[in-house]
Amino acid sequence: MFGSIRHKRSLVAAATLATAALTLSTLPAQAFSPHYEVGVSASTIKLGITIPLTGSAAPGYNKVPAAMSAYFNYVNDNGGVNGRKISLVVKDDAYLPTLAVAKTNDLVLKDKVFAVVGALGTANNKAVASSVNLGRRGIPSLFINTGYSGFADKAKYPTTYPLLPSYIVEAKIMGQYIKDNYAGKKLGLIYQDDDFGSDAQAGFKAAGVKFDVSVPYASGSQSAASGAAWVGKLKAAGAEVVVVFGVSSATGVALAASAALSYKAQWILGSVGGDATTLKALGVPAAILTGAQGASFLPSPGDATDEYIKQFQDINTKYNAGAVFDNNVLIAMNTAMLTVQALRAAGSNPTRAGLMAALESKGGSFASASFSPILYSSSSHVGYTGYWIGKYNSSGVMLPDGGKYTLYTTDSGAGAVNTVASKRPAMPAKGLPNN
Amino acid sequence: MHKSRSIRLLVFIVIALAAFFLSNVVDELRVFQGASLSVYIVAIASIVLLTGYSGQISLGHGALMAIGGYSAVLAHNHWKVSIPISFAIAIVSTAFFGSILGWAAARLKGPYLAGTTLALAVGLPSLANQFSVLGGEQGLAFDVGAPPKSLGSDFTQYKWYFWICALAALIIVWITQNILTSRYGRQWRAMRSAPISASLSGIHIGRSKVLAFTISSGIAGLAGAMLVMTLNLVTPSAFPLSLSFAIVTGAVLAGVTNLGGGVIGALVLVAIPDIADLLAGKMGGAEKISANLPGFITSLILIVTVLLLPNGPKLSKLVSHKTK
Repeated sequence: MFGSIRHKRSLVAAATLATAALTLSTLPAQAFSPHYEVGVSASTIKLGITIPLTGSAAPGYNKVPAAMSAYFNYVNDNGGVNGRKISLVVKDDAYLPTLAVAKTNDLVLKDKVFAVVGALGTANNKAVASSVNLGRRGIPSLFINTGYSGFADKAKYPTTYPLLPSYIVEAKIMGQYIKDNYAGKKLGLIYQDDDFGSDAQAGFKAAGVKFDVSVPYASGSQSAASGAAWVGKLKAAGAEVVVVFGVSSATGVALAASAALSYKAQWILGSVGGDATTLKALGVPAAILTGAQGASFLPSPGDATDEYIKQFQDINTKYNAGAVFDNNVLIAMNTAMLTVQALRAAGSNPTRAGLMAALESKGGSFASASFSPILYSSSSHVGYTGYWIGKYNSSGVMLPDGGKYTLYTTDSGAGAVNTVASKRPAMPAKGLPNN
Repeated sequence: MHKSRSIRLLVFIVIALAAFFLSNVVDELRVFQGASLSVYIVAIASIVLLTGYSGQISLGHGALMAIGGYSAVLAHNHWKVSIPISFAIAIVSTAFFGSILGWAAARLKGPYLAGTTLALAVGLPSLANQFSVLGGEQGLAFDVGAPPKSLGSDFTQYKWYFWICALAALIIVWITQNILTSRYGRQWRAMRSAPISASLSGIHIGRSKVLAFTISSGIAGLAGAMLVMTLNLVTPSAFPLSLSFAIVTGAVLAGVTNLGGGVIGALVLVAIPDIADLLAGKMGGAEKISANLPGFITSLILIVTVLLLPNGPKLSKLVSHKTK
């Protein structure tokens, strides 16, 4: 008797499973014209991004998608790319690798995007590369928002195009600067305990800089209490010059804690966590930021004399109402402008393979706000390679040392740090690429 | 009983054939969701066995899944064992941990047990951050490799995951079903409904509870190993608190004593992110809420089910029994 009830249950379960699965399978798949690549139609090109909009790493980065869309909308209103309008599908990954995998799956399998653009985070991009395996699927992942040096490995990440100078490059340049300007001082370092931080350590080692005290933190563990603990260690070791190589929220926590504990040091902030607007929003008092130093590969967002900044500010006012123009908005618009140039270079009927070929053959000549060249070629996926060093003024704007941008460049290996004359293509008229 | 077993076997074979057939027809997203479905079915089976049969509550099965996940990955990466062996190691090591936990759990009842296991779900996965061998927040890669070439060049990675997961799920549900209809299953049911009369009739309550916890943990460990395989990665963030709640919700949804009903619970869990996206799209400001809405919907479903179906799903009854 028992058995017969169970049979019924099993049968019902089997029938339900089969029916449900069949129903799912009959849902209409998005129809695509066979003449176009996935994500491309006669009138649109669909792109996707995963980025933290919520969670501990969100402050600052959550402004990126809206700013990218703002630039795309500006281009769309001015004729689009070869007549096609660009749309950006935005997914929140909360800076969690597993969520990044799930959301990228959605972008690829559900939204069927042409390419992923500006995906953020070292661990997230690594997880996505191995699980979703964009490389094997031939899906381009353009201008990823991470400086982990490993992503330039073309064999391992064949469709990934890093843009940011690697963290090794940044640390080498900072290290050289410290040796030149702060020789003999006691040095401290706060870094994220993952590939982001290990790249930094490799860079400082290559530059020959030894820290008297190093404070690692686990991603996601940054809080007011942990900030106080970090500052306590720095204080105990008597560090006079402190480098913070972490995300914005960690940098904010460290600075706020040092203000609260009246700990004074010469701060040097890595580019990842060095955006003044974000730091202020996180409660960092203006006083402690004044005089701090930082490194950046883009011109200062507060420098309205720069033609790129001026044009992007203008677009931001018109298409991104209410957003303060800061480093995040600048990086987003710069990335979007490079994307438009890449799409234009891919031709009137863009394919994924064509897009990547265009990047490798013409990417080096694209107009971009950075003074650093872009090193894309058939054998290299390395993007920018240079930084300038500056100082925050009392209104939180980082301005170059000595009033003029001096670009330091180097590689992710044993190469020397050089200073080069700042040179870049002119901003296209009205900020609309004409390549 | 013999006859019923053979019919049940037939049902399983039909399901296996249907799954095989479907995996060749539907698109890749559905195939991937099919793999997730299998993971949830196994996880829910572990709750059905534990809560529906032995009457113990666990809000910490996400943590047990984490143990399974990490065990499988460490075994695979360090000893280069094959997928089935790494899954078996996940089952054994999680069952071992579960048996230790079971000794403690057998002394606790109702909300105390729920609280203890909840603490486990909160604390255990983040322990990985403390040991570099576990890869920290970044986690460890779990690459089971491309599908065999003999399956053809069109055979996708996700279909490969689905095949592995579906097969593992079918085998483990088959075994679980047999355990539940065996004398152990009957002992657990007797113990759950009337512990005193059960012990009077010779059932060792403590030992039975520990056995149930051990087996349930082993099954959860397998679910964890399957989950990290589909992600190609094991990290603490793969086992959030919401995962523990989700699988309990899945079990409650279709009646916590019904293994077959677990399929429906799992289907709902797989569908929730899609529903969340749909809702978020309608509400505007979609991107910011769609990552957090699934957790809200899961909790809502759990509350509504317990409130509106107090007689159907047995969990609510069970809790009130225990707290009296």
